[in-house]
Amino acid sequence: MADITKPQTKQEIETAEAKAVRSAKSESLYSIAWKQFRKHPLARLALTILAILYTVSAFADFIAPYPERYLNARATFQPPTKIQFRDADGRLTRPYVYKQTKSIDMETFQEVWTVDTSRQYPIKFFVRRDNVLDRYVPFPVNLIPVGIRNRLGIKPWASLHLFGVDDPSDQVKIYLWGSDDVGGDVFGKILFGGRISLTIGIIGSLVAIAIGMAMGGLAGFFGGWIDELIMRLVEALSAIPTIFLLLALSAIFYPLNWPPIYVFVAIVVSLALIGWGGIARSVRGLVLSLREQEFTFAAKALGANNWRVILRHLLPQTFSYVIVVMSLIIPGYILFESVLSFYGLGIQPPATSWGLMLNTAQSFAGVTGLTERWWIFIPGIFIFVSVLTWNLLGDGLRDAFDPRSRK
Amino acid sequence: MINYIVRRFINLIPTFILATLLAWIVVELAPGDFASQFAFDQVDPNKAERIRELLGLNLPWWKRYFFWLRNLVTDFNLGISMTTKNDVTILVIPRMLNSLYLALPALILVYIIAIPIGVYSALRQYSIGDRFLTVFSLIGLAIPNFFLALIVLAFSVQWFQAYGFFLIPTGGMTSTNFSELSFWGKTLDFGWHLIAPVLVVALSGLAGLTRIMRGQMLDVMGQDYIRTARAKGLPEKSVTYKHGLRNAILVIIATIGSTLPDLLLGAGTVEFVMRWPGITPLFIRSIFAADVYVVMALLTIAVVLLMIGNLISDLALALVDPRIRY
Repeated sequence: MADITKPQTKQEIETAEAKAVRSAKSESLYSIAWKQFRKHPLARLALTILAILYTVSAFADFIAPYPERYLNARATFQPPTKIQFRDADGRLTRPYVYKQTKSIDMETFQEVWTVDTSRQYPIKFFVRRDNVLDRYVPFPVNLIPVGIRNRLGIKPWASLHLFGVDDPSDQVKIYLWGSDDVGGDVFGKILFGGRISLTIGIIGSLVAIAIGMAMGGLAGFFGGWIDELIMRLVEALSAIPTIFLLLALSAIFYPLNWPPIYVFVAIVVSLALIGWGGIARSVRGLVLSLREQEFTFAAKALGANNWRVILRHLLPQTFSYVIVVMSLIIPGYILFESVLSFYGLGIQPPATSWGLMLNTAQSFAGVTGLTERWWIFIPGIFIFVSVLTWNLLGDGLRDAFDPRSRK
Repeated sequence: MINYIVRRFINLIPTFILATLLAWIVVELAPGDFASQFAFDQVDPNKAERIRELLGLNLPWWKRYFFWLRNLVTDFNLGISMTTKNDVTILVIPRMLNSLYLALPALILVYIIAIPIGVYSALRQYSIGDRFLTVFSLIGLAIPNFFLALIVLAFSVQWFQAYGFFLIPTGGMTSTNFSELSFWGKTLDFGWHLIAPVLVVALSGLAGLTRIMRGQMLDVMGQDYIRTARAKGLPEKSVTYKHGLRNAILVIIATIGSTLPDLLLGAGTVEFVMRWPGITPLFIRSIFAADVYVVMALLTIAVVLLMIGNLISDLALALVDPRIRY
């Protein structure tokens, strides 16, 4: 499977020929796929956007001005803080914000936010806020479960934030995208929620693929009653509508009031349970056809046992399929998680996810319309963008691995 | 053919039993039951136990599954709702109809719009129109239904605040004065409430089906018999519509069976947001209340719908496509 794109100039032809002479080894499937993928502008754009989203969520503690569990009863539904760049004379200065105060309009009894322009509060970058609430465990370390961290004695913490308001009285808050019903910072919550919303798809699909490949591989390779049993199970599972099964599964862990990390794992397991069937079916088909090919007989003739044949010869052949399938089921899982949390059956506060934030929007925004409190709809845009970009990435990968669509 | 249909039907039975058994196990795994909420009753500490006995919740789960299945098979009895004390069938059927009122127009709309768009995109592949429609369908696929419904709702409120009347209702199936309206008034009112949710549901189905139709049409137009038809000297119109479209469309029409359950259940979030009294809001309410039989009834209906829908699709495909042998 050599690359068949034609070199353009004479020099290129010569170097290409020289290369061909030097390395008789053909290119691997993955390097061809990567080359193909790079020709797909939309998929590359999608990859970039996703990389940004994931990085920003990973460093959410640092970028968000307030911690995840931040509450502020005095600033519910505060409109986004406008950052001012020009002072009273219209000259450029360092960015600053004004204080926003809440009052009640005595005629309509509605909350009205007014901007108090009497004093400027400059924005400071790389601020340290050294109280217990503002401390956090920085990114790569927080992936290690707390129990293991404590046992190993790793207790790093940081208090550095990307930006904050310079206000000694701590009255002025900076809400880039407004605040929600409990005075939480929507901007920060979106970053923190992204940790859950974005990773749940990846981990869920990894677990689903692991189960699916194991089951499909077993069914396809051994056949007989194992095949019959597994395929019956897959058929029965696929007969139950996905979303109803997911909701019923969430009823198992929903009433237990688990800590967020347990809920996260429970959702991952639920997603994997509903998703492995389709993968198992395809992997079984792949294995059935691969089993009859010469290299499998060759491996067997060389004395390889069943497990060696499966692990070394059959499974690697299904990897390109798995990569494509994974990128195509992740967006679905992101949507499922958001729907679950939107119904109030998924992630529970004080943890947050984009679906849960829209649940807030559902309960509070329906009465006020689009222009007031518009900022609590922002999480929906993030769900949309992440699903869209994963779809595009999946399309790009599918084309890259598909020999028929090569240019 | 009849042989094949009968075989497929018989095949459905073990699948149905296994699927409902799995569903039962999942429902059963949920901690607590309907009686748990009375566990700390101050007046009557034994209330929970008594209710358990009354409802048969103290029996082992497999026994209850067996009774449930027997009742379902022998006299189509899905049990009694624990919260409303009504027959589950009476509770579920109107909900089912409400959901169908939403899903059927959406289904028709999806097919009416998706087929021409798909054909247009395929015939003018990579044209500006095709690219625009591709982007549009990608966007349609990525927007969560409930987000769109929320926006529509907020828009409705916004319109009311600005102009003092409702352009589209803020959810629900009927107006508050529904019972006072005449027959035509009722129909109009119902139709008015139907517009927004149907459009939202249709949009999500539309995006997917357009892509399928486009792919199908591209596939057909690349076939040898199209080249033969052109070589015979047939006018391009006849090639496209008689030889191309008819073959491409058959497959799409055959998938109606599995699209309807998809739309019916996919409309769940829209029903939830727009307070449409369909099956999904009932399902969620019953899950919160641990009303097991309602949950099971809805799951069962969904399983049956999905199985029958897929069966119809398969049979229709086998009927229209001579390459499929049975």
